[in-house]
Amino acid sequence: MKASALSKYAFINAKLRGRISKILPDEVFGRLAKAPSLDAALDILQETSFAELYEIYSSTGDLKKGELELLKKEIELYVNIKEHVHQDSIGFVNALLYKFEIENLKNSIRIYFDKKIRNRSADPNIHYILYEPIIHEIPIDVIINAENFDEIAGVCEGTPYSAIIKKYSHTAEAKGSLFRMEVAFDHFYYDNLLSTIKKMDRRDRIIVTRLIGVEIDLQNINWLIRLKNFYDLPLDAVMATIVPGGFNLNRAVIMELYRAQNVTPVLQNFVKGKYPGLSALLSSQTSDSYSRLLLIHRILEEIIKHEVRRVLAGYPFTIGIIFSYFILKSDELKKIRTILNAKKYDIQPQRIESMI
Amino acid sequence: MMFTTEMIQLFAVVLAKDSERVSEVLLREGVIQFVNTAEIQNLDIDSLSTVNPQDSLTEITGLRDRIEGLLHAGGIIPAAPRDTDLSSRVPVAIEKENALLGQIDSERENIRERQRKIQQEILKLEDIRRQVDIYGLGLSDLPLKTKHSFLTIQTGRIPAPNIKKFDDELRAFPSLSVLLGQENDIAHYLLIAMRRDSERIRQILNNVGWTNIELPDELKSVKEDVFKELSVKLKALTEEQKKLEQKVSDLIRSHHQHLQDVWVNLKVTELLYKIQANFKSSSRTVVFIGWLPSSKKEELTRQIKTSCGSRCYLEWHQPGSPETINDEIPVQLNNPKIFAPFEMLVSNFGIPEYGTIDPTPFVMPLYLSMFGLMFADVGQGAILILAGIFGTFLHKTNFEKRGLYTLSWLIIWCGLSSVVFGFLFGSYFGFALLQPLWFDFHGIVSGNAEGGSSVKDIFDILAITLYFGIAVIFIGLFFNWINLFRTRKWMEMFFDKGGILGGWIYGGGIYIATYLFKYNYKVFPSAVIVFLLIGLPSLLLLAKEPCHYFLRKQTPEQHKMSRTFNPFIIVTFLMQWMVELLEIFSGYLANTLSFMRVAGLGIAHVSLMISFFSIARMTSGFYSIIILILGNILVICLEGLTAGVQALRLSYYEFFTKFFHGTGKLYTPISLNSK
Repeated sequence: MKASALSKYAFINAKLRGRISKILPDEVFGRLAKAPSLDAALDILQETSFAELYEIYSSTGDLKKGELELLKKEIELYVNIKEHVHQDSIGFVNALLYKFEIENLKNSIRIYFDKKIRNRSADPNIHYILYEPIIHEIPIDVIINAENFDEIAGVCEGTPYSAIIKKYSHTAEAKGSLFRMEVAFDHFYYDNLLSTIKKMDRRDRIIVTRLIGVEIDLQNINWLIRLKNFYDLPLDAVMATIVPGGFNLNRAVIMELYRAQNVTPVLQNFVKGKYPGLSALLSSQTSDSYSRLLLIHRILEEIIKHEVRRVLAGYPFTIGIIFSYFILKSDELKKIRTILNAKKYDIQPQRIESMI
Repeated sequence: MMFTTEMIQLFAVVLAKDSERVSEVLLREGVIQFVNTAEIQNLDIDSLSTVNPQDSLTEITGLRDRIEGLLHAGGIIPAAPRDTDLSSRVPVAIEKENALLGQIDSERENIRERQRKIQQEILKLEDIRRQVDIYGLGLSDLPLKTKHSFLTIQTGRIPAPNIKKFDDELRAFPSLSVLLGQENDIAHYLLIAMRRDSERIRQILNNVGWTNIELPDELKSVKEDVFKELSVKLKALTEEQKKLEQKVSDLIRSHHQHLQDVWVNLKVTELLYKIQANFKSSSRTVVFIGWLPSSKKEELTRQIKTSCGSRCYLEWHQPGSPETINDEIPVQLNNPKIFAPFEMLVSNFGIPEYGTIDPTPFVMPLYLSMFGLMFADVGQGAILILAGIFGTFLHKTNFEKRGLYTLSWLIIWCGLSSVVFGFLFGSYFGFALLQPLWFDFHGIVSGNAEGGSSVKDIFDILAITLYFGIAVIFIGLFFNWINLFRTRKWMEMFFDKGGILGGWIYGGGIYIATYLFKYNYKVFPSAVIVFLLIGLPSLLLLAKEPCHYFLRKQTPEQHKMSRTFNPFIIVTFLMQWMVELLEIFSGYLANTLSFMRVAGLGIAHVSLMISFFSIARMTSGFYSIIILILGNILVICLEGLTAGVQALRLSYYEFFTKFFHGTGKLYTPISLNSK
């Protein structure tokens, strides 16, 4: 018999709403941003649920180690939620977990690539990747110490990554860049996620498609910013990187955004129609195309928050609560990481505030 | 104690030159909750300006927060300022103190930098150790476990003068060099490094004049030494890290006296500024308004007059009087300390409106009776008492987690209630060690109760909880009438669901139900009685909506509208009357039956114990004891929590909803203890 929405989500809804109430308020981020030093910022965190970060830093002076612990905690969060959700939702949480495995795999391949292909010196990041398995048993040690891509593809055999590595290894070696391979990993992540969503109930599917769509928009804009700023690729190459399934930015809009000198009219089409509250952001004057893309990034982030608020205020017994919690939690962790790193590099509080 | 504390409003005008001394008095006394003059519409103080303190409150708070964080990092929690700190305070040079904190931060950063370097060393050695743990060393006769060992191990010799260079250059890579021996100018080494760094290691070895040699047989046992060396190095580095961490703590502690003094000064200044932020000033005078308990009026008057040599004008307004500015009166709950756990339960639901009944003293017997009825056992109650006492010791000094301390006291009270009811029902860890003082709960549930008690079966137990529930609902209704009488809400007092008519219908319903039960459901009370008890109040209730419609205060617009009488309004009145009647009948029935859960959970508690005894009887000796112990633990955890939650639920939803609106605002004066 098919489980009702109430039986599937009543427990996890109550549990996660309790947890959402514990997410750090903006006031704390404001204090962190204004803290005069990294140590002073961590002093503030010792009074919060991030006290562990303070403990690690005060015993090692190593912020990256603290960040690694944050990442482990974030993964633990997903695993922990997986234990509490109805079996119908486990596949979805697993699909989300792929994000961490893919990021970890990308990081380890980058270390291999820098050492073997680019002949760069010892990378200290080697100490800050996860060696423990997330979904698949991938021997990260072997990847880092590999002699070539074949060896990496070999140890990833049985996982969805092996084929991607085989397919893009020659391009990576020839062009001296992992860009295509990393885009392919991202495409795999979203394809897998979207195919999981297709199996959901109608109500869940609508909510998650909307939220993931906005996340895909954000991901696409991230790529656009990178491509525009660092690579200045031709439009066709750019469009090949775009992840399908965006909510507000379809291929045509993205093409227009990449080419346009003035993006405001393009943005107005969807912002004013769907999110009139955010139109004020459009009035910001931007001088160059890079700043304009950053503006869109900011707008999309606001849209995600708007969508999450919408889900939390709506019908409570949907998968939306689980996804919203992950989005809010990941936003909280992102802010913490951003602020602490900014403090480490002595960035001015006003700038930090604009970054979060 | 039954009602919220009586409050009074002070409207004060003092000379500007006395305002500092008056602020000190207000802080020392700590009894005024200020009315924010900026929010008041009808007060003509536009010509007055805000008092601007010398330093910015944001700067002071920022510095105080920073020092507090630093002290916490050194394991020091600053105590709240005392009276003497107020009089002995000195101005804080904010820039100078910020500079000192900057200097401490920079010293901390230097130590952190050293910590980071050591941490890098640790990480590299841990990288090697992880490889050794997974794949082995491959020395002597032990082959490598798999082809995936990423270590390279080599023995060789270098000229002794190159040792330093050798050590320095290797530091950039995860590696371990073990000095095997030194003869004349030649040092023999065993070097373990990562295979991935082979290229660069080879360059370093070339630079220091490394020559590979075969590992002599007698040195093949060096494998264990390598482990030892690795552990020793890691241990030394970890200890060094600990020393550096301690150094940070010592650094803070070396300044702690000064920092604590500054913190106290800042805290006092901050509180004074917070008080002054509520002042409005003209060129010569300062005005402030605030609420305080009436009992503090005389003392505060005396103190203010003393501080300013009676050069002040104080006006006192009773709540509700036309002179009162801002009618939001703060609420102070006025209960003895032993009621703290129950006050916590009440304030968790809401703060009573000013002047209404504070239910705390009634929640105590109500909550504990329900808990005891659901969880009656002397032994299990004693365990709860012990757990509560442990909790109070654990959290006694932790002022940050005061809630847990109060919760521990609640557990002690619940334990005491269980013990009392355990004696009444004769239950001692589920055993009937002594004769019950009231009735044998276990005997009744298991069907082997001895006679002699007025409570003979489960229906009697259910009846007890129903009578209990009826009493609770009537007390709630009575409190509601008192509240409505005190707040002069006559319409609500008469017509509301919880008003006199609602209570009349409920009382009538109870009488008729009892009558039917008494005559075995065969005789119905006379029609006159039924009409007087149910019919009459129901008919009177029909007048509610018309009264509301015609007597309510209306704006001229609404008044004009109401003149145009619409015949359909009569249908609306009738519909509303029927809905109201339905709500009263179904609502009160549900409220009353809800109390049967007390009996239900009491029965479940006994049944669980009986089940564990049955399981224990299936075995013998040690195992049966273990089963009984585990059973008791399970019952204490599971039933204890359930009984606590259900007693709370009944208090909130069946008792509080009758009279308690929880819309009050808690009285929070600015005092030396303010956060």
